[in-house]
Amino acid sequence: MLVDYELIRRAREGDAAAFNQLVAAYRKRILGTIARTIGRPEDVEDVGQEVFLRLYYSLDQLRSAEVFEPWLYRLTANAAYDYLRKRRRRMESRMADLSEQQVLLADAVAGEKIDRDEGQKKRIREAVDALLDRVSEEDRVLLTLKEVEGLSLKELGEIYHVKENALKVRLFRARQRVLKAFTASRKQAPVGSLR
Amino acid sequence: MDHQSYQAGSDDARLDTIFQAYRAACPDFEPSPEFMPHLWQRIEARQGMSMVFGRWARNVATAALALSMLLGLAVTITGSHGAQLPTESYVEVLAEEHNTANLDFEPVHLSAADPR
Repeated sequence: MLVDYELIRRAREGDAAAFNQLVAAYRKRILGTIARTIGRPEDVEDVGQEVFLRLYYSLDQLRSAEVFEPWLYRLTANAAYDYLRKRRRRMESRMADLSEQQVLLADAVAGEKIDRDEGQKKRIREAVDALLDRVSEEDRVLLTLKEVEGLSLKELGEIYHVKENALKVRLFRARQRVLKAFTASRKQAPVGSLR
Repeated sequence: MDHQSYQAGSDDARLDTIFQAYRAACPDFEPSPEFMPHLWQRIEARQGMSMVFGRWARNVATAALALSMLLGLAVTITGSHGAQLPTESYVEVLAEEHNTANLDFEPVHLSAADPR
């Protein structure tokens, strides 16, 4: 926990200064998670504010201060999911296939064949973002929390309110779908040209 | 290990590498100085909206209460003047009005010359 229970209790009772401290303690971590989940830096603050707005209006429903963190992550996962769903709706259809260059890059990343300077990092982000855009929003959020954020199954269980076994199944299926999308893209692009 | 399971393991490892590379390629996100002021603006905007809606809901509730009290009063006054409320149902009233037993039928005379 980044804050003590007393601060959470005070924020829950409507203390604005305590709420400010709470946001200040968690915003960097939450914004980082959102950035890696939605893959659009320009929208991260907007989604982050939505998370803390929901926090402000639902703090009184928090059962106990001990469950604050999983609960904040749940709000974050929900806000990211809502954003991704709206973004997909805004697009005319599902994300187009990965560009050939993105496929080649993802392939090279998987084979650890490239140096990662800033330009290359940006392209990696774009390639993985495009890859994750090819699976559902639920899969994307779940996989990011597990594989990128490194949350444990126990932590994910507390966030999603599901048992670990059920989570394992969901994660396995989500990984399969990403792999399928990746493999399909590789088949469409002439991968050999990079090697 | 057969070819398929080797392939699956290899794909899994590739996916892990991709996710690790993604994590390394994402910089930490630094919130702008405007983050907190904008957050409070949004909180206050929603509070304003809830207040407007709350006021509207209270007005509607008050109006509904006043109307029901008026109706209750009207029913009480009408009842105290001894007005008779119908006790029969609509179907019973209709049946009463079209009681065939009370109708006067005139005899019909048919003759052979009648074209009917």
